[in-house]
Amino acid sequence: MISQLPIINLVALLLMAIMVPFIKKISFRATLWLGGILLIGVLVSSVFIFIHVANVGDIIYHFGDYESFLGIEFKVDPFASLFTLFVGTLAFIIYVYSSGDKTEGIESPEFSRYYVLYFLMLFAMFGILYSNDLFNTYVFIEIISLTSCAIISIKRKKEPYPAAFRYVLLNEIGSLSFLFGIAMLYMISGHLNIDLLANTIQSGWTTLPINIIFAIVFMTVGLSLKAAIFPFHIWLPDAHASAPSTSSAILSAVVVKIYILVLIKLILKVFGVELFASLGMDTVLLIFGGAGMIMGSIFAMTQKDLKRMLGYSSVSQIGYIVVGLALMSDLGLRSAFFHIISHGLTKAALFLSVGIVIYLKKSRSVKGFEGLGFQIPIAMTVFGIAAFSMIGIPLTSGFIAKWNLGIAVESASQYIFLGVIVISSLLNAMYYLPILFAAFLKDNPEHQEKVSIEKIPAAMLLPIVVLGLSILLIGIYPNLLMQLIDLVIARL
Amino acid sequence: MNDTIVKSITRLVIPFVQVYGIFIILNGHVSPGGGFSGGALLGTSLILYTLVFGAIKAKHKFSHKASEIAESGGILIFVTVGLIAIFVGMPFLTNLAAGFPAGSAGAILSAGMIPIIMIGIGIKVASTMITLFHKLIEEVIQ
Amino acid sequence: MNILERIVENINYLGGAALFLIGLHTVVTHTNLIKKIIGINIMGTGVFLFFIAIGNIEGGTPPIWLEGMENPIFVNPVPSALILTGIVVSVSVTVYLLSLVIRIFQTYGTIDQKELAEIMEQEVPHD
Repeated sequence: MISQLPIINLVALLLMAIMVPFIKKISFRATLWLGGILLIGVLVSSVFIFIHVANVGDIIYHFGDYESFLGIEFKVDPFASLFTLFVGTLAFIIYVYSSGDKTEGIESPEFSRYYVLYFLMLFAMFGILYSNDLFNTYVFIEIISLTSCAIISIKRKKEPYPAAFRYVLLNEIGSLSFLFGIAMLYMISGHLNIDLLANTIQSGWTTLPINIIFAIVFMTVGLSLKAAIFPFHIWLPDAHASAPSTSSAILSAVVVKIYILVLIKLILKVFGVELFASLGMDTVLLIFGGAGMIMGSIFAMTQKDLKRMLGYSSVSQIGYIVVGLALMSDLGLRSAFFHIISHGLTKAALFLSVGIVIYLKKSRSVKGFEGLGFQIPIAMTVFGIAAFSMIGIPLTSGFIAKWNLGIAVESASQYIFLGVIVISSLLNAMYYLPILFAAFLKDNPEHQEKVSIEKIPAAMLLPIVVLGLSILLIGIYPNLLMQLIDLVIARL
Repeated sequence: MNDTIVKSITRLVIPFVQVYGIFIILNGHVSPGGGFSGGALLGTSLILYTLVFGAIKAKHKFSHKASEIAESGGILIFVTVGLIAIFVGMPFLTNLAAGFPAGSAGAILSAGMIPIIMIGIGIKVASTMITLFHKLIEEVIQ
Repeated sequence: MNILERIVENINYLGGAALFLIGLHTVVTHTNLIKKIIGINIMGTGVFLFFIAIGNIEGGTPPIWLEGMENPIFVNPVPSALILTGIVVSVSVTVYLLSLVIRIFQTYGTIDQKELAEIMEQEVPHD
């Protein structure tokens, strides 16, 4: 029975997405409650799947009972189940927040469409992680890119349209490059199944090396475009800034990471580390990641719009993950996985607390934070914790992530990157700390009247409190998460 | 478009296009074609109607509500057929092993659940084609 | 001579790759948004052609089983089935992009990227 759970999760998310327009007609509150209960169910079953996979063994699921080389195969290993758990948790937290925040930019007719897109996106993200079939992955990637673009342009304001257009265009180039890479791999092996492909890739390397080189380059570039790895990041700040806060949170915290996870899956399971490194692609990724760490922070410092600043900050944090991946060692991979989860929590906390500021002030400017720490103490405290985590101050998860990356860099003898990490952290401090100083240390005479906490819905406050606490929890007890990640790496 | 020739020829052609579309959907498992191709033909017939007679008249033929039901209905047929296998205890979308009758090869009623799935896909694709076209026209009119 | 022979042998693959590059060139160099969409479609067609060319077997028959066939050589039907999915995706992306262009034209009054950038610079960037 437990082997059916992944597919039941997927079908439940898909059914929820298509039923939202119909249940909405009865009662919108009922839709929200049903979605919440469904997400809790998915979360609980993800936990069960993870426990089962960790103790018993991988779940291999053949659609339609066909053999692996004929049909589509799902393979739920610790890697897939841990990250579906991560996606599910963040999605539930952001869902609770979005059920409270009904104002920011989305008009009521679009509100049910927002949830249709949200559940479809979740469906595709779960599918990508479970799937063991390259073409299946491509289809899910396309579902994610269409739904995430639609979520950006859902506001009936004019500002998001050019941003969304550029996002779709670059995403589509990325997907087509990825499909081109799949075609190259299909040409040498005749398989789309990842395990079967991995068996034939060595013999393919001796007969048709050009195909594999093209496949590696096209797939890496395509996924880099979609994951906003440094030189391909130009679409990200605009797109994430013009979206509603809840969408920015899920896009920046989860969706971008999914593409990096696909890249990790490709490098480790299909091509193999030796082949990837022998082509020098690890050096390329290392340079991209290092440049992203510095340049993302520098761009972020010059921004006047708070959400654009957070977008560029994402670019720099993706650089950390890419550097961890590009070291091609177990330590590097550990730090990359840890950073993916840590940054997911942190960026969600930042975007959601900024969402509360926007809810209150109706403005996205970096200025005007004076005295906000006394008006909305909870939101600004969470913002502070998350900002500390971004900078890498001890007791937060960001510190552990950077520490692990430092150890990995040191053991790979890439000492220059220790300097890069320190510089990037200092740059992070330079644009997060002034906001915190303004919020907590300055007083604004205009806002003397205290805004009571009740003015902000509890559904918005509770999620960010949970996020802030979990950042601290992982920062103080990192081994809780590290054990799981070690299990994932041992079984990858 | 107020052209008598175009209008009468459209009236003449549309039934044939639709019958051909349905034929292709129903024969998807024994000959080339299937839900997508047949559904695209069905959709095209109504797009042709919209082009010739205008969006307002076409809205009466295929309203927003109808498209909503058809789109969700198509997916629902597909998912329900897939879920039947799970209730039997087999993987999602299992065909003959889950107890669907095989029939004799080459007949219309054969290949287990494939014809049912094809009908679901056909409904979904046809309504999606029409809805996409209508939505684009609505954007321009607004 | 050898090169020419190889070109003729691999003309399907070369055609696919050429279409991909032509499409990419169109997307990158043209400022008209509609032309960018056309470029994306050309790119897609290139990839689809490449994929389908992989499945072709010389002298193969369409993969339909008929009575009285003895050891038939079928063309590989899997790439065609996959590309059907690809075409569906490309249709929906095209429609989505076109509707975005309509919205952009309604709000900004232009579909040229340069003019769009100028208009957006003149406005106060953010509320």
